[in-house]
Amino acid sequence: MPGVSLKALSKRYGDVGAVDGLSLDVKPGELLALLGPSGCGKTTTLRLVAGFLAPEAGEIWVGDRRLSSPASVVPPERRRMAMIFQSYALWPHMTVAQNVAYGLRFKPGLSRGDRDARVREMLRVVQLGGYEARYPGELSGGQQQRVAVARALVVEPEILLLDEPLSNLDANLREEMRFEIRRLHETFGITTLYVTHDQGEAMVISDRIAVLRAGKVTQVGTADDLYHRPRTRFVAEFIGRTNVIDGLATSLDTVAHGALRLHIAPGPLQPGTHVALSIRPHQVQLAAPLESADGANTFRGTVRRAAFLGDTIDYEVAIAGSDLVVRAAAAPTPRFDVGAGVTLRIAPGACVPLAESE
Amino acid sequence: MDRSIAVWVSAALALVVLIALPLGWLGWLSVSGEHGVTLAHYRDAFADPALQKALWNTVVLAFWVGLVSVAIGAPLAWLTARTDVPARGLIRGLVLASFVTPPFLGAFAWVMLAGPNAGMLNTLWRSLTGADAPLLNIFTMPGLIFVVAIYTFPYVYIMVSNTLALIASDLEEAAAILGAGRLTVARTVTLPMVLPALASGFILAVLQALALFGSPAILALPAGFHTVTTQIWSLFQFPPKVEQAAAFSVPLLLATALLLDVQKRLLGRRGYAAVGGKGGQRRTIALGRWRWPALAACLVVMSSAIFLPYAVLAKGAFARAWAQPLGRDNFTLGNFTFTFFEYGSTRAAIVNTLELAVLTACIGAAMVALLSYITNRRLVVGHQLVAFLVLAPVVVPGVVLAVGLFIAYTRPPFVLYGTLWILFLAYLTKEMPVGYAQADATFRAIPADLEDAGRVLGAGRLRILKEVTAPLAKSGIIAAWCFIFIGVIRELSASILLFTPSTKVMSVVIFDLKEEGQFGAISVLGLVMLALTFATVALVQAALGRDVLGARR
Amino acid sequence: MTKRFVVAAVAALAAIVAGAIAGADAQTPSKHLEGARKEGKVVWYTSLVLPSAEKVAKLFEAAYPDIKVEVHRTGSQRILQRVMQELQANIKNVDVVHTSDAGHYVFLKEKKLLAKYTPAGVDAFPAGFKDKDGYYYGLRATVNAIAYNTKAVSAAEAPKTWKDLLDPRWKGKMVTAHPGYSGVIATHVLALVHLNGWDYFKALAQNKLMIVQSANDPATVVSSGERVVAADGGDYSAYQLKKKGNPIEIVYPKEGVPLVVSPTAITAFAPHPNAARLFTDFTFTRDVQQVMADSEGLYTGHPDVTYPADKPKLSELKLLTVTPEELEKRNEEIKKRFVEFFGA
Repeated sequence: MPGVSLKALSKRYGDVGAVDGLSLDVKPGELLALLGPSGCGKTTTLRLVAGFLAPEAGEIWVGDRRLSSPASVVPPERRRMAMIFQSYALWPHMTVAQNVAYGLRFKPGLSRGDRDARVREMLRVVQLGGYEARYPGELSGGQQQRVAVARALVVEPEILLLDEPLSNLDANLREEMRFEIRRLHETFGITTLYVTHDQGEAMVISDRIAVLRAGKVTQVGTADDLYHRPRTRFVAEFIGRTNVIDGLATSLDTVAHGALRLHIAPGPLQPGTHVALSIRPHQVQLAAPLESADGANTFRGTVRRAAFLGDTIDYEVAIAGSDLVVRAAAAPTPRFDVGAGVTLRIAPGACVPLAESE
Repeated sequence: MDRSIAVWVSAALALVVLIALPLGWLGWLSVSGEHGVTLAHYRDAFADPALQKALWNTVVLAFWVGLVSVAIGAPLAWLTARTDVPARGLIRGLVLASFVTPPFLGAFAWVMLAGPNAGMLNTLWRSLTGADAPLLNIFTMPGLIFVVAIYTFPYVYIMVSNTLALIASDLEEAAAILGAGRLTVARTVTLPMVLPALASGFILAVLQALALFGSPAILALPAGFHTVTTQIWSLFQFPPKVEQAAAFSVPLLLATALLLDVQKRLLGRRGYAAVGGKGGQRRTIALGRWRWPALAACLVVMSSAIFLPYAVLAKGAFARAWAQPLGRDNFTLGNFTFTFFEYGSTRAAIVNTLELAVLTACIGAAMVALLSYITNRRLVVGHQLVAFLVLAPVVVPGVVLAVGLFIAYTRPPFVLYGTLWILFLAYLTKEMPVGYAQADATFRAIPADLEDAGRVLGAGRLRILKEVTAPLAKSGIIAAWCFIFIGVIRELSASILLFTPSTKVMSVVIFDLKEEGQFGAISVLGLVMLALTFATVALVQAALGRDVLGARR
Repeated sequence: MTKRFVVAAVAALAAIVAGAIAGADAQTPSKHLEGARKEGKVVWYTSLVLPSAEKVAKLFEAAYPDIKVEVHRTGSQRILQRVMQELQANIKNVDVVHTSDAGHYVFLKEKKLLAKYTPAGVDAFPAGFKDKDGYYYGLRATVNAIAYNTKAVSAAEAPKTWKDLLDPRWKGKMVTAHPGYSGVIATHVLALVHLNGWDYFKALAQNKLMIVQSANDPATVVSSGERVVAADGGDYSAYQLKKKGNPIEIVYPKEGVPLVVSPTAITAFAPHPNAARLFTDFTFTRDVQQVMADSEGLYTGHPDVTYPADKPKLSELKLLTVTPEELEKRNEEIKKRFVEFFGA
């Protein structure tokens, strides 16, 4: 099972660099998500990998084969890949079985019987056993999705590409399908590139996530890495919610914001430089105002807003003696009303300095 | 509810006058004899060997025209819609030009090109090869099929092209990435999905061929064979056998209705638009070294339909003797002076044509705007029936409609024969469907929400119409106006039966001149007609911001 | 119009007397002038070839500037169709009807659709140009002749008789006009049926002739080289083309040439009766008849008209004639059998 290597890929549309010097390595057998807002170049990257687009600069390697370069591009039909499209792209004039069997025609050495057997097996795997004779028009959205998955997996591709396959499903189904896709990936272990704009999806499904912005990779890492150690403000705000606090480093481990002093776990910070800190809402602990206000990163504040969300309450708290308003996610009890005074405590390890300024 | 009834009654009345009355008379006359109801006319019509031959000729003509139209139109559509063939815009423009060229002008130009002895192509062939026999003889059934097909294939082109636009290219990409080469993709994915459009286009081409009068009159009669339309026309010669003409028309009407029904079913078949999810972008297929040969093939087709005929018409307009080369001594403006100043019928005919075209277009556009607004917004009960009735004339070939109108309006109480009004009725009836289709598309594109938003804020329905709907619908209704206008200018098959010497129109004058062999004058008038048509087309494109065939600029 | 005509016509043409007869053509103010001016126009349905018809109209308008001539030109059979269709719809549009099918006038006279009017100066015309009851008069005459393209066919090879046209060497090379459109051709067909029977046309059709409508068209087709031999057609159109320098030559077969006298009449219901009479008189004046002979190559009944030297006189030709009565009676048959043999 080969990996995919993108080396300094560039593709422009007019003046806009859709993909701009993008480099990325996908490990063999891993499911890597390409995550980013619309226009960040993730779909373009995927289509470059698929061979539908030719790069203007850079190369694409799969294992030890160079598939794309500005000089030559191996056409999609010879790249030994499979793709699942956002629209599923099921052929309405063919039955489910014929759709799934399509790619098997181009594999030498398979008899009709072999093909049929594989199709039946794969449909069983995606839990559509018995649907062979139906037409796509007769299926629900979720079922069509599964047919698309079956069609891609049955040909045992070296690389699997998915282009926002869940975005047309309703919320419940989407959640269910996330786990389903993860399960299939663990069963078959195919090197996979998964494009999405939904960070929750990326975090559930993938082994690693590459966050894209303006045609470049801003950060690659596991969900945990990105969540707890975001390198840039963009990544911090894109993955989950966060509080970003700007301040001045006054020492190796202290950041000053106005009159507030925030201690962070050992930096190192460069004193005198501007630093942005990312603090996740669930790491802002709230306590009754009577608690002692001693200790690092402990402040007094007033609740400005409280939204009950079922398993958490989303608070907005103004910190006394400063202009800071932070969001905190706390358990349903104890409950603090709007206007109430609270004590906030933030563990130094929860204050993550954002490494690159932007 | 009151409003409903008023609209209903007026719509029903209008449709009765336009359609039911002529067709009713047609049906009645076909079975009425001196002693009551009789099938004698049918027997006379269908037992006559000459008429049987005409029927057979028509079937052959229509079938082959359909096939050739598909053979030309489908590949052209695929090339322009799906591949990177060069000059796509130019090719589309030429297909459009072919669509609006009156077929009888094309037929006439091809007489000058491929008449077996004096035709310019044959002369060229003879001088190049020294052969005695001509290369092409346009006065044959294959010649007629060819000339009809080059102006009918745009119907197939449009159907296939629009369908290809609906097929998101990820359907083809999905096949490609699974291992299918370009041709395999075209064969296993694109072609099956386009098949209903192909069949539909085939039927439309067949219907056109069935109803044509001008081209068969120009090419078949000199070769000694008739088609149903020319036969019906000749039944009107003195002494007229109108009952037989009626009997002969009824089966033509039934055949047309049947074919249209089949076509509608084909289009309505579920599942042949892209299924599921969003439609994707369209990727063009790289033709590689086939790019230029493909372009060459397209241009050969368009030469036959546009370049050669238009060039020969231009030559005919300026030449004293059309078959001789256009040298200094052969150049003349005499044809223009003759046509416009010496030939009495021309100016009256041009005036008549323009008057009728403007009148029909204005009243027609107003009617279809009103009717399609009512049907789209469902303002009356049974609006589907209204839509059906407005589109009904599509079923009636022009010559059949003319027979019906002739029978209905040459007797009391409404004697309209001999006036421009009978022509007006024929044109309005015939062109209403195409105007309605455009108006319908216009109102569909204006969501009712836009109007409701205004009404919620307090504006009355009429104000909404004026301030919200009308500005949005304006360009679409202008386009409808233009389509009707173009249709009227080039109409021949109904006009040829309904005109009188004082109510001639341009197409009839051209036809008259053909009977005189006045090639120069025909060329001049033909160029005028083309100029009028293209000016109107330019107007449509300016109004709509996209070309008539549907591609966005 | 029978053999009696031949004698009369020949006699008249051979014995031209300019004097008293010319005097009868002098411009005396017409009693119709006043009324014609009030009416302002005359509507003329004519089968005279278009440029000729327009020329006659222009001459009239030049002489009488207040009166317009509305020319509607089409084939003889179509003209009759028009007139009858309009009458059926109660449309009274046409003043003067002029076709080349004498049978029409028998028919129209019977139906009382013609006005009795004798144009000034026709008493000197041969009997063959006059209706004994005074309803219609022969405005012009032509004969059907063979024409060929001089560039493609030499004088020696050219067909000399109607029978020559049956030769297979002319297969695919000839053109004929249609009796269903043209009175000139209807007359021609009937005359040749008298001569050779219907079998002649059956055999002729084997040569796959191109079919056109108007009797003026065969000459145009031959001129252009599209076909090289015209099997019929009014000799006057061929003559006009020849004079203009086109490569066409005319052959008058010795077996005889069908003579076609084209009558003209005023309708009983004419909306502009005075203008109609004024116009009719005008067309029978020597000047106009001479114009028709000179530039149009037509024959006329006017005794004072002189003919071009390069055209055979009627007296020099063997003329085949048919009576209007027979033309009217056998009209259907002529059209039907022609279509039967030629296909359309």
